[in-house]
Amino acid sequence: MRFRNIGRTLLLGVALLASGASSQAPERRVIRVTAERFTFTPSRIVVNPGDTIEFRLTSDDTAHGFRISGTDVNVVIPKRGMPETSVTITAPAPGKYAFECTRMCGAGHNFMRGELIVREPRQGAPR
Amino acid sequence: MDFHFNKLEKDDGSLDFHRFVIILNHSFSPRIRFVGELELEHAFVEGLEEGGELELEQAYVDFLLTRSFNVRAGMLLVPMGIINERHEPPVYQGVERPFVDTVIIPSTWFDAGAGIHGEIGRGLRYRAYAMAPLNALEFTADEGIREGRLKGSQANVRGVAFAGRTEYVGTPNLTLGASLWRGETGFAIRRFDTPVRVAEVDARYKLRRLETRGQFAHVSIGNAAALNDAIQRTVGISPNVASGLRGFYGEAAYRVWAAGVSKDLVAFLRYENFDTQHRMPAGFLPLKEFDRDALVMGVTYYPDPDVAVKADYIRQRNQSGVVKSPNSFNVGLGWWF
Repeated sequence: MRFRNIGRTLLLGVALLASGASSQAPERRVIRVTAERFTFTPSRIVVNPGDTIEFRLTSDDTAHGFRISGTDVNVVIPKRGMPETSVTITAPAPGKYAFECTRMCGAGHNFMRGELIVREPRQGAPR
Repeated sequence: MDFHFNKLEKDDGSLDFHRFVIILNHSFSPRIRFVGELELEHAFVEGLEEGGELELEQAYVDFLLTRSFNVRAGMLLVPMGIINERHEPPVYQGVERPFVDTVIIPSTWFDAGAGIHGEIGRGLRYRAYAMAPLNALEFTADEGIREGRLKGSQANVRGVAFAGRTEYVGTPNLTLGASLWRGETGFAIRRFDTPVRVAEVDARYKLRRLETRGQFAHVSIGNAAALNDAIQRTVGISPNVASGLRGFYGEAAYRVWAAGVSKDLVAFLRYENFDTQHRMPAGFLPLKEFDRDALVMGVTYYPDPDVAVKADYIRQRNQSGVVKSPNSFNVGLGWWF
């Protein structure tokens, strides 16, 4: 009985690994980002190249900006209680792309930064 | 910016335009930025701070290098506790800042310095600065180290202070922080050292409409007995400075009306315990009226997320059988943009 359970666990592990490899295929992802003086949560976002990423942006306080360097993304996140802002991009080439608040939101405004990391594609992964 | 109506028990009420703040920012380039904050306290400035204070609370240049490593220099806010770096009225409950963030952590605490900051991994932030120290000659029994702030004004840097904070913001709705300030503060008394250490931990958590926060802070002052003796020889009265100060608070705020802009009302309750005579040096007795606690209850109405209309009642007590701490009723209007 015990060996059977171990066998099942191993099989499950293999299946999970296989599904991890296939996750390299471009996919559509929805990423919710909350802005609050002076933080983006999450502040580090990891995606695969070619993924279609929909950012859904809300604020817990005042209006903030959201710009991702090296992309066309540059939008305003409205104040708390207002509808969310949505912006969709295709993940660019592998690398690190800083994102930051572009609307002066207080003396800690410079802290308000994050990083979009686009992974290198795995060898053999479908494109 | 905020102005208040404060009514202390058995005293006349007062209206005070407490803070008027101007923030200046400039980007020399995407990687080199200036931040400035000029604050006028109590509406006007008369010589010797009798009427108010004009303070340069922040004026620094940031050199933004990487996510994990950046450099800044100039007039810096000490990275200490929940309030000091984010001290505008819409971000805290109550008309006045918490007592712990006033008499244990002397916010707004700022001084000249330079240091590094950044974020590592999934939301671990740090700041580490070398800064001008405090002046031990100005320490007091009731407000601890508060009057010792040099505020970047021709500060003596015979001993440089270290200030650091780490903050975890990687989990949505949770912020955990720990701060430390260490410095030699006895530059005006050459015969002995007066090392000071301020340590603090804090947490904030949001669960749907409920927002909670808590903070614990401790200050230790080395050679406090010698410091008291030295000041007594100079001015004739011992300031009765403690060797240990301690304060903590817990707060729960509930968004009773959360229907968007102009329909946003928060009720809160905060318990604070703060003692600026927590540990006394040998030969000195604590003044019990400075072992205080306070229950603060009130509401904040946000007609806009950046505008806060506040009202609260503070029931304050102390351990003295002679001197009473006054209760108070306060109303305030604060805004930030």
